[in-house]
Amino acid sequence: MEMVLNHTSDQHPWFQESRSSRDNPRRDWYVWNDTDTRYRGVRIIFLDTETSNWARDPVSKSYYWHRFFSHQPDLNYDNPAVHEEMWSVMQFWLEMGVDGFRLDAVPYLVEREGTSCENLPETHAVLKDFRKRLDQHFPGRMLLAEANQWPADLRPYFGEGDEFHMAFHFPVMPRMFMSVKLEDRKPIMDILQQTPNIPDPCQWCLFLRNHDELTLEMVTDIERDYMYDTYAGDKAMRLNLGIRRRLAPLLDNDRRRVELMNGMLMSLPGTPIIYYGDEIGMGDNIHLGDRNGVRTPMQWDGGWNAGFSKADPENLYSPLILDPVYGYPAVNVYSQGRSGHSLLAWMKRLMATRKSTQVFGRGSIEFLHPANHRVLAYVRQFKNETVLVVNNLSSSAQAVELDLRRYKGNILVEMFGRNIFPRIGDLPYLLTMGPYQFFWFRLRRI
Amino acid sequence: MSVGEVDLLVSVPTHNSAQTVGETVQRIRMGLLKYFPRERAVILNADAGSKDGTREVIAAAASNDLQRSANLYALRTLPCISTVYGDSPETNVALRTVLAAADLLHAKACAVVSPDSTSITPDWIERLLRPVYRENFDLVTPVYRRHKFDGLLLRNLIYPMTRALYAKRVREPYALEFAFSERFCGHLLENQIWDHESRGLAAEMRMTITAMAGGFRLYQTFLGTKPHVDRTGADLVAALRQTVGTLFWSLEANFQYWNATGVPESVPSCGAEYDLTTEPIRVNRKRLYQLFNSGVAELEPVLRSILSPQTLAEVQSIAKLAEDDFRYPHELWVRTAYEFASSYHRSVINRDHIIQALAPLYRGKVYTFLLENRDASGPEVEADVEDLCLTFERLKPYLLDVWNARE
Repeated sequence: MEMVLNHTSDQHPWFQESRSSRDNPRRDWYVWNDTDTRYRGVRIIFLDTETSNWARDPVSKSYYWHRFFSHQPDLNYDNPAVHEEMWSVMQFWLEMGVDGFRLDAVPYLVEREGTSCENLPETHAVLKDFRKRLDQHFPGRMLLAEANQWPADLRPYFGEGDEFHMAFHFPVMPRMFMSVKLEDRKPIMDILQQTPNIPDPCQWCLFLRNHDELTLEMVTDIERDYMYDTYAGDKAMRLNLGIRRRLAPLLDNDRRRVELMNGMLMSLPGTPIIYYGDEIGMGDNIHLGDRNGVRTPMQWDGGWNAGFSKADPENLYSPLILDPVYGYPAVNVYSQGRSGHSLLAWMKRLMATRKSTQVFGRGSIEFLHPANHRVLAYVRQFKNETVLVVNNLSSSAQAVELDLRRYKGNILVEMFGRNIFPRIGDLPYLLTMGPYQFFWFRLRRI
Repeated sequence: MSVGEVDLLVSVPTHNSAQTVGETVQRIRMGLLKYFPRERAVILNADAGSKDGTREVIAAAASNDLQRSANLYALRTLPCISTVYGDSPETNVALRTVLAAADLLHAKACAVVSPDSTSITPDWIERLLRPVYRENFDLVTPVYRRHKFDGLLLRNLIYPMTRALYAKRVREPYALEFAFSERFCGHLLENQIWDHESRGLAAEMRMTITAMAGGFRLYQTFLGTKPHVDRTGADLVAALRQTVGTLFWSLEANFQYWNATGVPESVPSCGAEYDLTTEPIRVNRKRLYQLFNSGVAELEPVLRSILSPQTLAEVQSIAKLAEDDFRYPHELWVRTAYEFASSYHRSVINRDHIIQALAPLYRGKVYTFLLENRDASGPEVEADVEDLCLTFERLKPYLLDVWNARE
């Protein structure tokens, strides 16, 4: 379950009470100040809409702190009552049976003067306390961190296995798109080689797209410019420091690239997360405000409101996608369910193949360095199982020679068709690959 | 070659260049990362079987982490490939290797950089490649700031004569740094200009002349100061064979072109104008004078078969002048050069002997240049070179006369 720890709506009763008077018992549940001069220099996240992290409240005639929209005031975790109340909320849902929480915007819980107000030790202390209570009262449940940070800054969110169970790996996502556009493995290898080891029971979460913009905060300026120019030529596609588009439109609805990206998502270290609708290649609507263009109703079928709601279409919270390429009559679960070659059917096969081995979930990764930089190749290993993954990132056919001498004597079994490829010998292992093709090989000594 | 298609190719031909090539490759990488961060690029080392670890130095330089040291960020892989084309340096073969690689990789712009260019900066890469890659020029040649007594052969013969005949003011027709387009590369390969007959000629100069005569778009780019190289012990005849031999050789193939050219036109350029430095350097003038005199005396039978009686007589007459009074006038020098070109065309004697016979006369001309410009400022030296150029242009009909007469 999604849980927002950092802030509430300004319509929330807590905030309404807090703003009502400086003497209200809930006054200190939010971060108030008489001026907007505290915490100077802290970055603004929603650059397109906000000019400050402070907003003046006309009711209480003072300023409140908000790292996101001004209608989303930050809770004050220096107040123990807030800490306790938020645990109560978590407890409520845990008792309802949820298996875990995706905790939203966790780097920003606590503010301190003279800092970036992100990733502070006090914030980690709050999170560790929640984890401790979770383990004590609800063993087997889990916490997933949403913290858009560099891998080295994310590492502390795992603690010593006593903070988050999982964390989204934000920086790898834009680099996967970059690698495919550049036809070069460098961006992916660079970021994964910078990624620190995490405690054994912990896991990264990988994703291609989510409900937010394709964030470009964790890239360099030159990379951001490149991404904007190549993936968001139309300014309407850009939002804050990111690109508000779904997977299929980002990849020009190119089935081969969609498959390659999902193939990498499923084979790189981490737990893959698929954003709803991307499994059928849903489109987006860049003319809707904020990130609403990627939050349109799920397209279940070609009927009334795409099978999403029985309401009058005019009453839908978000309009349906109607264009001829991505519209719900053309792209929907029902129709793809009827074809064994649909993207949905292919995604199911991909997931089934991934699940056929533990190596993708728990295995180590070792990159190979073939001379052809358009090919990304790595070996995943777990216990006595070894899988070789080879991805052609380019739009043209490629030949690649892999140094597999340490696996000499093994045969390669292609995991989707279970076909046997030649045995590994002393010579470099030659593979030829079609445009955007990828292979998963199980290594077997027979 | 597993690099695949590229936008830019920068080549470094080497032979036992371990001492300097590492720094050169680093600067090339910095230039590519700084000025062409998005482009698909490759560095190609064409090596003549170096035995001093040149290729290892290049591999080490190519894998250095530049990003931290130079505040640069590489968006994509910048491969650096070494290939051995033979076991001794041969510019023709090296350049053909580069052209073949550029063609194979569909490089849109290709630059060649000398491994000995210790003065190279990352800007060079931009200045060489940009005119080709972004402005559709076909050949970019360099312009350097030189010492007033550096590039003597260039100033006294190659530049003025090339300019007069091919009607393009290309300051360095024989350059070790240059860039060319995919279109020009295709033309060179298609016309097989590196055939057997051209062995021993300066491949770089053939390129420039081919571009001038072929109507390709030329550009000159300023690459800063050219460090003076002391060539006291260098083989002058070998240098003449390569450069003057190339120029003479090209005149036959391009007769229709240079026969019809008019007033030399300037070539688009960027950066500073041609400039001179005047720090003192030591030149042994006396020896030049002696070699001129002994050459004219010893080679009289050979010179008689090459030069017209009048020109030979004038040459012999200046050989009698005392050291301080010696002058090889521009007009006599131009007639000498043109008659040598004509004799080369006619093969009046073995062509190699013709080139060898030019050496003492060239020394006499250089002696005059050094003497007359001993105290000259940069602009005064330039004025002298310009005067020589105009003499070559004015006497072009004389070349046509002797060329046709001997035909």
